[in-house]
Amino acid sequence: MPISAELLSKLEAKRRVALLGGGEDKIATRHAKGLMTARERLLALFEPGTFMEFGLHAQHACHDFGMAGKPMPGDGVVTGVGYVDGRPVAAFSQDFTVGGGALGRIHSKKICDLMEYAMQAGMPVIGINDSGGARIQEGDDSLSGYGQVFFRNVLLSGVVPQISIIAGPCAGGAAYSPALTDFIIMTRKNAQMFICGPEVIKASTGQAVTMDQIGSADAHASVSGNIHFIAEDEAHALELSRKLFSFLPSNNVMDPPHKPVQTLALQPDPGMNDLVPEDPKAPLDVLKVIGRLVDDGDFLEVQKEFARNLVVGFGRMQGIVTGIIANQPAVKAGTLDIDSSDKGARFIRFCNIFNIPIVTLVDVPGFMPGLAQERGGIIRHGAKMLFAYAAATVPKITVIMRKAYGGAYLAMCSRDMGADLVFAWPSAEIAVMGAEGAVRVLFKREIAGAADPKAREAELAAEYREKFASPYEAAGKAMITDIIEPSQTRAIVSLALRNTLSKRETRPPKKHGNIPL
Amino acid sequence: MKKLRVTVEGKVYEVLVEVLDEGQESAAPAARPAPAASPIATPASPAPATTPAPAAPVASAGDIISPLAGRVVSIDVQVGQAVASGAQVATVEAMKMNTYIYATAAGKVTAILAKPGDAVEEGAPLLRLG
Repeated sequence: MPISAELLSKLEAKRRVALLGGGEDKIATRHAKGLMTARERLLALFEPGTFMEFGLHAQHACHDFGMAGKPMPGDGVVTGVGYVDGRPVAAFSQDFTVGGGALGRIHSKKICDLMEYAMQAGMPVIGINDSGGARIQEGDDSLSGYGQVFFRNVLLSGVVPQISIIAGPCAGGAAYSPALTDFIIMTRKNAQMFICGPEVIKASTGQAVTMDQIGSADAHASVSGNIHFIAEDEAHALELSRKLFSFLPSNNVMDPPHKPVQTLALQPDPGMNDLVPEDPKAPLDVLKVIGRLVDDGDFLEVQKEFARNLVVGFGRMQGIVTGIIANQPAVKAGTLDIDSSDKGARFIRFCNIFNIPIVTLVDVPGFMPGLAQERGGIIRHGAKMLFAYAAATVPKITVIMRKAYGGAYLAMCSRDMGADLVFAWPSAEIAVMGAEGAVRVLFKREIAGAADPKAREAELAAEYREKFASPYEAAGKAMITDIIEPSQTRAIVSLALRNTLSKRETRPPKKHGNIPL
Repeated sequence: MKKLRVTVEGKVYEVLVEVLDEGQESAAPAARPAPAASPIATPASPAPATTPAPAAPVASAGDIISPLAGRVVSIDVQVGQAVASGAQVATVEAMKMNTYIYATAAGKVTAILAKPGDAVEEGAPLLRLG
């Protein structure tokens, strides 16, 4: 005897209601605004037919304030697993049509259950945030609900990649979940993220601020550095997350999805020689250099608008997935400062977690001098770069393109910080400090006593530059692996990566180091 | 507010001074900082010895500013010239490197606010677009 038709049709009916979330009208409103629904976003993210939803029939747990009996399909969040790039990925998508996507106990439970499942299965988590915040009617349950999610963000951190998409409001405590994840993608419009909004700020401090100043994607991308990517719209956000994911392994015990080419191409690229200006004072656009190093010029830059004096991002070199960190001499002379140190250190640590080899391109005249930098703590921020590189056990290949002075030279993955191989271009200037500064210290008396101090200083500086501001001193002391032409860089670094991929470093066990924060 | 030019040991400072009247001293005098009466102690950031410079200029919206502290190498446009967004308008040198400054929007140059050789702070205005 087959299963009762009544049972089947009851299931069908319940499914239909649950799948509509807040109902046809609310869905129509979303569409009218050019916005997708929560489920539509997940269906756009995943490969067709691969989405398995968890907790479709979940109901909310609130009985106070007139909530009892009020329908909240799925308790405002859609959770489940689907395939991205041919691999299973866990995702949750908050449903603004159901109670404004507010978080209550069951909403939180659905997300937490999903995260625990992902952690055990070793699969990444993508979270689409679009919520009015805590469901006030559930009081402590909502607050604790957030806490439960944050705790799991931290449990998962370092185990599986976690990507957050901000596609709507993400206010107050809710902003902390994305902040704990690895990457945040925010849509340019219709999304705001902040702890205290303009009204609260005005009420508490009297300051008048606009949402644009504190909570917009623009503000976060270029000023606060809270996010990593701006998406033009939801479809773009989903595309970016897929693109990002194509460089990452599913979990920390796997290698990134390298696609090593069958035959390594080792011929030189003369175009790279053309990029290097003859005048050492003229800036180099490192994005052009990176464009010539990565396969098909395909470089996914991370935090493009923040701390633009340092460029970080993902690319492949003859199929091998690489994390690239490079000074950008066209911005702030390529100096390292507080923001760029933070940006670089976090990226290095992410690559280290997921076994992504690191290629560092150096053209740095030093750390940025200034009152704001010193009092802002450049010491402890700059130290993050040193810590991150030294602590990383993934293959580390460094290419010194032009300037590499002082502490900044060390901070850009010098041999001493554990770089496996260091290559220098003939234009490299590896020195304790610039020639002018150095001769002022070394030859102070001689310059003071000279007939024409300025001329003598210039003479000595030229001699110093000739001798020390080149790669040959460092190479002479076997501090660098080889001096190569810019045109040889892609071939040599690709080969170096291929050779070093099997690197396994062991260190004494410890809970974790104490990186300055 | 009065503008005064004060020369101290050969260095010239242009300062803004607020002269406080007797009648307004009904509030606790202890709250007023003692140097208020002396123009020398309230300079508006006196410039370094190289040039008898005015107080550090403040950029207004529409100005093209220097992204870092350094020395102006060149201003590559003239007053009245139309510039496209992204066009190179100036060069600033810092840390022995030339940084090119680009127009952030299209417009016409209405004023040049710095000249070659000037030392500029981060955020200092270089030229104004209208």
